[in-house]
Order: sequence, then C-alpha cells, then structure tokens
Amino acid sequence: MSFLFGGGNRSVEGSVDPAKIEMAVAELDMITDVFNRLVNSCHTKCISQNPNNHRYVEGDLLKGESVCIDRCTAKFFEVNKKVGERMSAMGSAAQATGSFGR
Amino acid sequence: MDFSQFNGSEQAHMTKVIEKKQMQDFMRLYSGLVEKCFNACAQDFTSKALTTNESTCVQNCTDKFLKHSERVGARFAEHNAEQMQGK
Repeated sequence: MSFLFGGGNRSVEGSVDPAKIEMAVAELDMITDVFNRLVNSCHTKCISQNPNNHRYVEGDLLKGESVCIDRCTAKFFEVNKKVGERMSAMGSAAQATGSFGR
Repeated sequence: MDFSQFNGSEQAHMTKVIEKKQMQDFMRLYSGLVEKCFNACAQDFTSKALTTNESTCVQNCTDKFLKHSERVGARFAEHNAEQMQGK
C-alpha cells in the first residue's frame, strides 16, 4: 500500500546505476553459460554417447539415465569448484611473484 | 543473484533484460535441439521423407532432451540453494 501516490500505479523510484546493472548482467550471463554447458555435457555423458548415431527408444528418462544425471551434475559442480580454487591459487601466486606464466 | 540491492527502476530494467535473454536462450535451445536430433536420428538418405523409425526417434530425442534439461535444472537449483544457505 503506497501512501505517496494514491491507490493507482506506483511509479518506480530511484535511478538506474549502470555499473550495478552491468555486473548483474555479467553474472547472469555466466550462470546461464554454466547451465547450458552442464546440460550439454551431461547429455553427452549420460544419454547419447554417440551424437551422430543414436537410437532413442523412448521419450522418458530411463532409470539409469536419471541416476547418471544426478551424479553428473554433482561432479560438474565439484569440478567447477576445484578449477576455481586452482585458478585463484595460481592467480595469487602470480601476484606474489609479480609475473604470470613467464 | 541478490536482488535486494536493486531499487525499483533497476529491478524493472533487469526484468526486461532477463526476459530478452530468456527469449534468446529459448531460440538457441530450439535450434540446438534440432541439430542434435537430426545428427542422432537422420541416417537413411535413400529418400527425402523421414522414415517411421526416424520420426519416432526425433520425437523421443526431443522429449528426452527436455526431460533431461528439466532434471538438470532441478539439480542446479538445489545446488544454488545449498550455496546460498552455506553463505
């Protein structure tokens, strides 16, 4: 209930901070990208190992495929975390020595 | 993603941005799926029309991918929720 503008449409308050928006968009893009890669990777690993010739017997997920998908997503996130840790370790090591890969 | 830091006009802007991205993502999903199911199912080029087997294969391929995507989405959301709680 807004007491400033009466019972009708409330106009939005505040202005748009471009830097904040840009960061949010970048984060959203990254999350979407991770999700798409996850879907494609786990599809190849769990459902169709041969993308150029696969006989789909039915439209529902088989029991084995479902289990595989659950495990695949869990492993993917673990790999994501490990890679992140490794890269930040390398990043801080590079900062300490003042060089990067040279 | 934490929306509590955004004011009203920023939230409105983000909503529009998200809608546009969802649209683009849907188009990408569609064309990706067409290619995937074509590569997997279309094997017999002795005729222009899809054989019955190929046709069934395409239907199953599409259904299966969408169910797969749904399941991955559920696991993804669970994982994100755990991450948020952990923080």
